[in-house]
Amino acid sequence: MTQKPKEQRIETEVLIIGAGVTGAGIMRDLALRGVQSLLIDRKDLCAGASGGNHGLLHSGSRYISSDLHSAIECREESTILKHVASQCIEETGGLFVAVEGDDPGFAENFAALCQPAGIACDQISCADAKKLEPLLSDRLFKAYRVPDATIDPFRLALLNVAHAQMLNNSSFRPHTEILLFTVKDGKIESATCRDNRTNTTLTIYAKQYINAGGAWAMNIAQLAGCKDVSLLYSKGTLLVSHDRLTTHVINRLRPPGDGDILVPGGTVSVLGTTSIRVDDLETVKPTVAEIDINVREGAAMIPTLAAARYIRAFSGVRPLLQSAGGSDDREATRGFALLDHSTQNLSNFSTITGGKLTTYRLMAEKTCDLVAERLNNSEPCQTHITPLPDEESCKWTEPGASPKYWYKANDPEDMILCECEMVPQSAIDEIVKDAPGAEKEMTLKAIALRSRAGKGPCQGSFCGIRIASYLYDQGHYHDTTGLIHMRDFFNERFKGTRTVTWGLQAAQMELAEALHCGLLGLDNINDD
Amino acid sequence: MIEEDRNFTAELAVIGTGLAGFAASIFALKRDIKTAQIGNTGAVAYTTGYLDLLGSLSPDYPSSIEDPWQGIEQLKDSHPGHPLCRIPKTDIFTAFEQFTSFLGECGITYTPPEKSNIRVLTPAGTLKPTLCVPSTMKVGSTAFSQKEPCVIIDFKGLKGFSSRQVVANLKDKWPKLSSRRVEFPDMASGEIYPEVMARSLEVPATREKLAKILVEAAEDAKIIGLPAILGMHTPDLVREKMEQLTGLQIFEIPTMPPSVPGIRLREMFEQLLPQKGVILIPQQKVDKLVFIEDGAQLSLSDSFGPITIHSKSVILATGRFLSGGLEASIDGVSEPLLNLPVTQPASRRKWYREKYTDYRGHSVNSAGIEVDSSFRPLDSRGQPYSKNLFAAGVILAHQDWIRGRCGAGVAIATAYKAVEEVEKLLT
Amino acid sequence: MTETTIPIINFKEKAEELLPEGASFEACLTCGLCSSGCPASGIENMDPRKFIRMAMLGMDKELSTSKWVWACTQCKRCQHVCPMSIDVSQLVFLARSNWPQEKKPAGIVRSCQLIQSTDSTSAMGLPPEDFVFVVQDVLEEVRELQPEFKNLQAPMDKKGAHFFVNQNSREPMSEPDEMVPLWKIFDIVGADWTYSSRAWAAENFCMFSGNEEAWREVIQKRVDAVNELGCEVWLNTECGHSYYTMWNGINRFGMEADFKLESLVTYYARWIREGKLPVNSDWNRKNIIFTVQDPCMIVRKAYGESIAEDMRFVTKSLVGEENFIDMQPNRSANYCCGGGGGFLQAGMTEHRRTYGKRKFDQIAATGASYVLTPCHNCHSQMEDIGHHYGGNYGVVHFWTLICLSLGILGENERTYLGPDLLECI
Ligand SMILES: Cc1cc2nc3c(=O)[nH]c(=O)nc-3n(C[C@H](O)[C@H](O)[C@H](O)COP(=O)(O)OP(=O)(O)OC[C@H]3O[C@@H](n4cnc5c(N)ncnc54)[C@H](O)[C@@H]3O)c2cc1C
Ligand SMILES: Cc1cc2nc3c(=O)[nH]c(=O)nc-3n(C[C@H](O)[C@H](O)[C@H](O)COP(=O)(O)OP(=O)(O)OC[C@H]3O[C@@H](n4cnc5c(N)ncnc54)[C@H](O)[C@@H]3O)c2cc1C
Ligand code: SF4
Ligand code: SF4
Ligand code: SF4
Repeated sequence: MTQKPKEQRIETEVLIIGAGVTGAGIMRDLALRGVQSLLIDRKDLCAGASGGNHGLLHSGSRYISSDLHSAIECREESTILKHVASQCIEETGGLFVAVEGDDPGFAENFAALCQPAGIACDQISCADAKKLEPLLSDRLFKAYRVPDATIDPFRLALLNVAHAQMLNNSSFRPHTEILLFTVKDGKIESATCRDNRTNTTLTIYAKQYINAGGAWAMNIAQLAGCKDVSLLYSKGTLLVSHDRLTTHVINRLRPPGDGDILVPGGTVSVLGTTSIRVDDLETVKPTVAEIDINVREGAAMIPTLAAARYIRAFSGVRPLLQSAGGSDDREATRGFALLDHSTQNLSNFSTITGGKLTTYRLMAEKTCDLVAERLNNSEPCQTHITPLPDEESCKWTEPGASPKYWYKANDPEDMILCECEMVPQSAIDEIVKDAPGAEKEMTLKAIALRSRAGKGPCQGSFCGIRIASYLYDQGHYHDTTGLIHMRDFFNERFKGTRTVTWGLQAAQMELAEALHCGLLGLDNINDD
Repeated sequence: MIEEDRNFTAELAVIGTGLAGFAASIFALKRDIKTAQIGNTGAVAYTTGYLDLLGSLSPDYPSSIEDPWQGIEQLKDSHPGHPLCRIPKTDIFTAFEQFTSFLGECGITYTPPEKSNIRVLTPAGTLKPTLCVPSTMKVGSTAFSQKEPCVIIDFKGLKGFSSRQVVANLKDKWPKLSSRRVEFPDMASGEIYPEVMARSLEVPATREKLAKILVEAAEDAKIIGLPAILGMHTPDLVREKMEQLTGLQIFEIPTMPPSVPGIRLREMFEQLLPQKGVILIPQQKVDKLVFIEDGAQLSLSDSFGPITIHSKSVILATGRFLSGGLEASIDGVSEPLLNLPVTQPASRRKWYREKYTDYRGHSVNSAGIEVDSSFRPLDSRGQPYSKNLFAAGVILAHQDWIRGRCGAGVAIATAYKAVEEVEKLLT
Repeated sequence: MTETTIPIINFKEKAEELLPEGASFEACLTCGLCSSGCPASGIENMDPRKFIRMAMLGMDKELSTSKWVWACTQCKRCQHVCPMSIDVSQLVFLARSNWPQEKKPAGIVRSCQLIQSTDSTSAMGLPPEDFVFVVQDVLEEVRELQPEFKNLQAPMDKKGAHFFVNQNSREPMSEPDEMVPLWKIFDIVGADWTYSSRAWAAENFCMFSGNEEAWREVIQKRVDAVNELGCEVWLNTECGHSYYTMWNGINRFGMEADFKLESLVTYYARWIREGKLPVNSDWNRKNIIFTVQDPCMIVRKAYGESIAEDMRFVTKSLVGEENFIDMQPNRSANYCCGGGGGFLQAGMTEHRRTYGKRKFDQIAATGASYVLTPCHNCHSQMEDIGHHYGGNYGVVHFWTLICLSLGILGENERTYLGPDLLECI
């Protein structure tokens, strides 16, 4: 007979559900106001849209034709973030380019549309555009420069959590899924959760409950009996190229469509995106058809995209606020919704959803204004003026940074474990010790999420083995569960390579499979 | 600058220097066929040294099998097109015998093919079924099956091989297994590669220094396991000397790439085949292959310039994606040298299953070229492309060597068959 | 005075221009075979795989300034073992070219400047008239002291001679008697040969210094000199890189050259096969063991297997089949000794010896008493690492052993012989 595990009970001032950038931002915002919180996620940091997006810090120009309000919000927020979170941002600048076949009228009008939103937009000659970006198509006929930038959501979320943890005893618990709320007298009394790693339940008691569940916000709200969150889901799929192809963000100068943005992500480029309505959040993944569309459309702007080596694809889901009409989901509002659920007779529950990575801070601010007021806390928001402090263990997600630290330290004993992204042992040490969400026997997946390990051309196939053996060495792993972590990590990485395995990546995959299955037999191990 | 043309003639041209290509050259030597061979580094450089015949019946059966010969019988029912089903078992046996005894004569002794598979160790501490094992690795499986006290030793600075990992994953099955970490002589700091250690163990002085360290690390155990570093060129000799010096039984466990066993095999073949009369052009690829009356003309170039080879027959053993024998594009799989038709899933959507480690494998891995009963590749009309062209190795369709644990099996058996057919053609 | 800084190269962009179609650093599988077999791995905390990855990750500043580029001998072993045939040495050459003259290792730069300083193209700056004088002087001495060679010839600027013979400067400059065995060999086979007073020197450190223009100039001088004398064959003597720089340079710069480039080793083999050089191994009664070092510059990077085969044929003929042992690995898979690429001249002694340790081990593993090699750099490096790591082997030129076997090695021509070999005379 198995023993019934002891009921675990946790108390906190505020419970934040969902550790995307919004949840992480709320955690820090509250901490800066002196409010303690517990942040939970059923998986891990950035497991939702925050880990599956384009990483574009919008100047706003993308939305000028469909949503002026959002465009202005983006302009304002991106300006703030460039000041307070500069370590997560690369000011790449952006180009909007039209190629033969695109609507000349739209192209002509573009600068004029940007003006009311206050977005700096300069037309440049096609020759100048090609000088800036030699890979642009010869069939270019119009080009503008805009102040787009890129942002690393992983580092952003990690730093928000790390700062909050430092400010007060706020904390983060990964793999903790909300199962049900116990409601009593117009209040949520407690939240029952499951620890998805140990399969045990725990009950969390809080004064205020914040639903920052992104696309899952409707499901979470329903657990509290709220019927006022109504979302549709739009899935977007993106591809990652082997190396960085452009210095600027390249946008197609046309109404938003498939494969029309190429965003540099440090050392790689990310091409996307498609937009497809989906019903089920749990089975979202890239499909071959989406990949092919992105490549085809992208190649119209940048012909080498047709022949580039891709190392990965991924999908994310945008929650669409039901109020927005329109036939194209891309045209639906990119604004966000904050619900206080007072109409649902709840006084300590709020939901924040929608929006963008670019506006995460504002979303957190608005939410915290509401929650602080409910807690009778009158501290004002500080996130727009207080720079996000750096933290050692959070620096490893920045593309191309890890080799720089390593090279500078020049320590031959600090061996590189991920050779593609050049992640050294010391990074792994730091992550398993100090990174937000660090815990006993951390999985390879969790470590990879907090670093660049496994993000390079081999997609973890070598470094997964090396890091695992290093963790065994360090006593971090000590039995066959280490093998399971390895296998799960490779399976996870495969989700990203599955649809882009052709060309050179097919050679890489064959080598990987020969190693993982042919040699190590990971296709043949039992879970128990 | 005035340059000379370089022309060679041969009865057989083997394209590819993987296991299939090398096996073909060995079998051709046995039959006194004048052979030229061309090929680049390929999958063989990464191999473990274990020679698998058939270790799993995936997709029908998830776990590994004991008896590969019986397994081939079962395969005939489920996968009649599998290359191993198209060759008499006695020939497969002979092929393995000839191949391993050739290796033995060259200083890399193998266990001969037996009735059943041997379970061998992997660097993760898992077990793998295989048919023939280099003598440097053999003790590992016997020590495991007899559960003898044993110490696995790893080295500071060698990434990807952890004795604690091996032990952690085997301790339930092998309680008297323990682990130790030591420093390799004169390589105390920084990263070290197995290749470097292996080469330096070819030097008697290094062996003496290491022996002292190993004796100390072994404590009471009489058997020790090391990552595969026991010499590059004379592994049998290095092991023997190390055993003499330490008084211990020593075995190797293959490591992840870049590892020693593949380099060992490659360097050995590249050296010995020319000595035995094969015209070997290493590290190059054939650019063009055309069939002319009664033979073929192969064009390639090395750093020095163009080379032409005229040959009466050709064996295509160019491997899969990793080695360049097949190419995958966004639109499908092709064979780049002759543009032979490739049997493959109907669309890229079907290439891979959802789960990477699904034991049933991925259908793109069974894509490949078709051959007739004489192992002649077929053209798009289903006719032999040329009466002088044969194929061998994992380029062939209807096999997934990774899931089937049959890499060497497919390579060696089909090479044997192809050479037999070449001989028929030539006489 | 402001310090000059090293400009930053965009390696990724350059790689696209440099590499032939189909070969791309993007193809790297990060498998590490290259690094595993590269003796420069670990030096300055770098290795070829890291170099490629850093290039792809845009670490241009680090790569542009890494001293490691002077430790990579550009031996191309990494390319040889790579399944994707990726050639790091091209990026290394690029990086070297990019260093300001005054920052480059002074020894290599000086050698190149000296090459440019005279019409001799000698890295030791020996002017034509001095070369002519030394040759004449040595020749007279031999004729005098070795009566059987009283008619020995060392033709100078002989128009229409079949062979235009080059000479590494080290001989006329510091060990002139070492030229004599070569002359004797030509004498015995009846070769129609000549030295040239201009562009006679073999070595070319301009290539290693990453000075492409200077490299071109040197090659141009040499090509002109051969064309002018109307020789059919530019015969490279026992000096590895001179062959490569000439051969590669002529192709690279698209020069007109109406002659063949050949290596002396292939002629040794040919003359022995034809019976013109009646060497044998009878002298090796004590079964002294020999091994050979394949110079990458003429084997892997140029001729390939054929010259490696010739070298072994010559060696076996000279020392006896049973007294020859191959170094492992060998031929196109050989390891660079660590003297190449200007390493010997670069003044990075410790790094050079670290690199050379692998070669030392390989030599030690053969147990041979002597290493034969037709390359001056290899020769010097192997002697140095032998002393440094406590080896007890000697390094000899082929010409020395050929003359020894023929019983015509003069008293002054035995510098590289140990007591065991001296006893065999
Ligand atoms: C394809 C795509 C591209 C995009 N590109 C950009 C862009 O370039 N620029 C930009 O500014 N914005 C972009 N966005 C939008 C941006 O990614 C999102 O707005 C942002 O990441 C939302 O963050 P979030 O924290 O609100 O939600 P999420 O990141 O989705 O976080 C929700 C979290 O809740 C957790 N959760 C769900 N259910 C439960 C439960 N029951 N219990 C506990 N936890 C639970 C999930 O695991 C998840 O981690 C893009 C979105 C998509 C889909
Ligand atoms: C990581 C790994 C582990 C392995 N472990 C095992 C193991 O434990 N047991 C086992 O039995 N097998 C193992 N193998 C498989 C084994 O090494 C063989 O590679 C495999 O069986 C394929 O053999 P092949 O000769 O058909 O093809 P390959 O080995 O792929 O050889 C193909 C050859 O063709 C050459 N080529 C391609 N195109 C051209 C051209 N145009 N001109 C000239 N040459 C060309 C390539 O350069 C290459 O040399 C492993 C492989 C890998 C990658
Ligand atoms: S050997 Fe080739 S593929 Fe492997 S890491 Fe080196 S360059 Fe990359
Ligand atoms: S050229 Fe030689 S020294 Fe340079 S990286 Fe390649 S193997 Fe190493
Ligand atoms: S010195 Fe000798 S071994 Fe070294 S690079 Fe030159 S030729 Fe190669």
